[in-house]
Amino acid sequence: MPMSLSRLTRLAALAAALLAPIGLPAGPAGAQEKPRPGGILTWFDYGDPGRLDVHAESPLVVQQATAGIYSGLLQYDPDEPSKIIGDLAERWTVSSDGRSYTFHLRKNVKWHDGQPFSSADVKTSFDRLLNPDFKSPKCGAALKPMVASVEAVDSNTVEFKLKFAAAPFLPSIASAWCRVAAKHILAKYGDLNAPEAQVGTGPFKFKKYERGSVIEWEKNPNYFIPGLPYLDGVKQFILVGGPTQLAAAKASKIMLWDAWPPMRKTQADELGRARTDVDIYQAPINTVFFVYLNARKPPFDNPDLRRAVNLAIDRQDLVAKALEGAGVPCAILDPKLVGDFALPLDEVAKAPGCRQPKDQDIAEAKKLVEKHYPAGLDVEVAVRQVGNYVDRGQLVIAQLRKIGIRGTMKTHESAAGYAAFGKGDFTIIATQDRAMDINEPSGVFHISYTTDSGSNYGQYSDPKVDELTERALKETNRDKRRLAYWELQRYLLARGEHASIAVAWVEGWFFKDRKLRNYKPGLTTYDNNTFMKVWIAP
Amino acid sequence: MTGAVGRFLCGQPLGAAGAVVVLALIGVALLAPLLAPHGPKETGFATYVAPSREFPMGTDQVGRDVLSRVIWGARLSLYVGLVSVVFGITLGALWGAVTAYVGGATDTGSLRIVDCLMALPPIILALSLMAALGQSVNNVILSLVILLTPTAVRTVRAVALGVAATPFIEAAEAAGASRARIVFRHLIPNCMASYIVLVTTNISYAIVVEASLSFIGAGAPPDEPSWGGMLAQGIQALETAPWMVFFPGLAISLAVFGLNLLGDSIRDLTDPRLRGGLG
Repeated sequence: MPMSLSRLTRLAALAAALLAPIGLPAGPAGAQEKPRPGGILTWFDYGDPGRLDVHAESPLVVQQATAGIYSGLLQYDPDEPSKIIGDLAERWTVSSDGRSYTFHLRKNVKWHDGQPFSSADVKTSFDRLLNPDFKSPKCGAALKPMVASVEAVDSNTVEFKLKFAAAPFLPSIASAWCRVAAKHILAKYGDLNAPEAQVGTGPFKFKKYERGSVIEWEKNPNYFIPGLPYLDGVKQFILVGGPTQLAAAKASKIMLWDAWPPMRKTQADELGRARTDVDIYQAPINTVFFVYLNARKPPFDNPDLRRAVNLAIDRQDLVAKALEGAGVPCAILDPKLVGDFALPLDEVAKAPGCRQPKDQDIAEAKKLVEKHYPAGLDVEVAVRQVGNYVDRGQLVIAQLRKIGIRGTMKTHESAAGYAAFGKGDFTIIATQDRAMDINEPSGVFHISYTTDSGSNYGQYSDPKVDELTERALKETNRDKRRLAYWELQRYLLARGEHASIAVAWVEGWFFKDRKLRNYKPGLTTYDNNTFMKVWIAP
Repeated sequence: MTGAVGRFLCGQPLGAAGAVVVLALIGVALLAPLLAPHGPKETGFATYVAPSREFPMGTDQVGRDVLSRVIWGARLSLYVGLVSVVFGITLGALWGAVTAYVGGATDTGSLRIVDCLMALPPIILALSLMAALGQSVNNVILSLVILLTPTAVRTVRAVALGVAATPFIEAAEAAGASRARIVFRHLIPNCMASYIVLVTTNISYAIVVEASLSFIGAGAPPDEPSWGGMLAQGIQALETAPWMVFFPGLAISLAVFGLNLLGDSIRDLTDPRLRGGLG
């Protein structure tokens, strides 16, 4: 199924916007340089992934740790990040009703341990991801609503049968989370968490994982695309905390900062003063800043309290202070990323909780709190100690204090925080960025709003949201689909009771060492991190 | 009384300077709600405003008044310092005096426990305790109590052993006084000088440990106006907003300096070997 022209145009525009300010060679002139093999690329993970199962986990650090190890059926083109191309699939066909996709696999592909790759590996991987009892917050959560079954037709052919014709199917299959794992490795280890289980078909082999310190890949000399990768390896330092990350960047210990968390303006300025050999650029990161309320336990099982928080959160203030102005406040969908699928921002700005000045919303929120808790209430406010979440948390606590909700901050180490949130062991999560897996309007709803969303931490269920999301997903007519998403956004904004509160789409500053060639930022923070075509100039 | 103050000022000028700083610290802590121009958690101002007439110590990364946080930070530091030291040193003093008097296996066993606790590096022990207990001001105090107790046990036990060997204790025993009466009526009062010195010299230590724990994110919750926490947050914008580090750093230095000067003077005054020389 080809992508629509308008979508391609938008994606190309986004790519151009990303590339223009950094002076990356986007056209033929850049392509003329002869790639130079060798060298180690250095960058960083914002935290220690702990577990490495790309099918079962959702933190970016898990994706970063394993991106170059695995291949998918499809991928986003490293040369043109808006385009979907084959990876383990050489080609694919789609039935006339759009409900059956057949992938023809590459032959003679070997796993890193020398075992042959076949369609059985693909079937095992996707059966695992689609298993209703297997919690897969990224790939599985995206595919389960769409895919009915996966069959291995022969050793080199796989067929996906869909429940309905779905526009996001191919973008989801190409997502960096939908990677193919080896059947024999899953049989041996049971999951993909251990470093020894990191056996893929990707351009790099998993070399080393020192907890809390570094993750290293080395070149796969038997990669199925001859001549690739150019790099000898990739070294990812685990750098926790803004000062450490910035210090490493200023000291030239890392060559690339193109993943979450983005730098803030003050950090980018500081780096610009310290290094002249880097290109610094501002860009969106296809990520939403959420506040989550636990709808399964008091006090936020009460819709009035959820509405009160929704009204009290001052999105504009949070963008101004926590994101230093780099963000799109209030939007459930960002027009910069999904065009007119997003509700117009001037309409969004009039919604309860978003409108300025805040006086009316604060007064209303106070009444709602006083109705149930005349003396106010004390709650524990959870944040993971990553990025500038602690600062954001302090701002959220200050805003809630205005309506009588007195918050005490509880900080979590990154992986421990995810574990607690996944179990519903929290009252409020003051801030949690959720990155899109695909650059598609359906993404955010399947990540945080529907009942079965992978990051519906508040465990809130609204049948109407589920129904509207499914309707929009199934709609094949573009205009009708746009209207369906508008209706969904209007419903969420007007009702203001959902346990996932969208604060803003996050933007920020990034940098790339000028010696790095052929690196192009993906459309989501997860894509194009395999570095298969990246090389280092002398 | 005036004469005593005068003698202290003349005999211990550094101690007097320390006392002035400590009194100022206590005053600021007690009067924080009156002195601070804004709430310590109020975020309603622009971020990274340099020191000015409106914000004499500037504002921080989320738009809080640094002066107000430094003032409220004095209250938190003093609270943590005083409570942890009073509890920790008192507990240690009682433990040390009792085991010194009882002696035997009780004393030996007690010393081994103290040795074990003292064998662990203090900051690592405090970090482990905070990791186990969770982040809160009261847990910082609890960690400090556990940290301070062994030192007090050792010091007071040593003094108590000397006191226990004196004839008036023997006389009390001969007169049929109970063990509890001897410990609480005769032994402990004679260890009070050591106790007071331990208290005064350890408050600054407790303040520094609290600041250190908060600095590495294991102390008071980040939104509490802790000087150490303010330093940690200031480090993130050291080039952009150096005042975020300078003022809380200055506050910690002044408080510790003042408390140390005062503590040293009290130690000198209560040390019989130095007392004569200073008179």
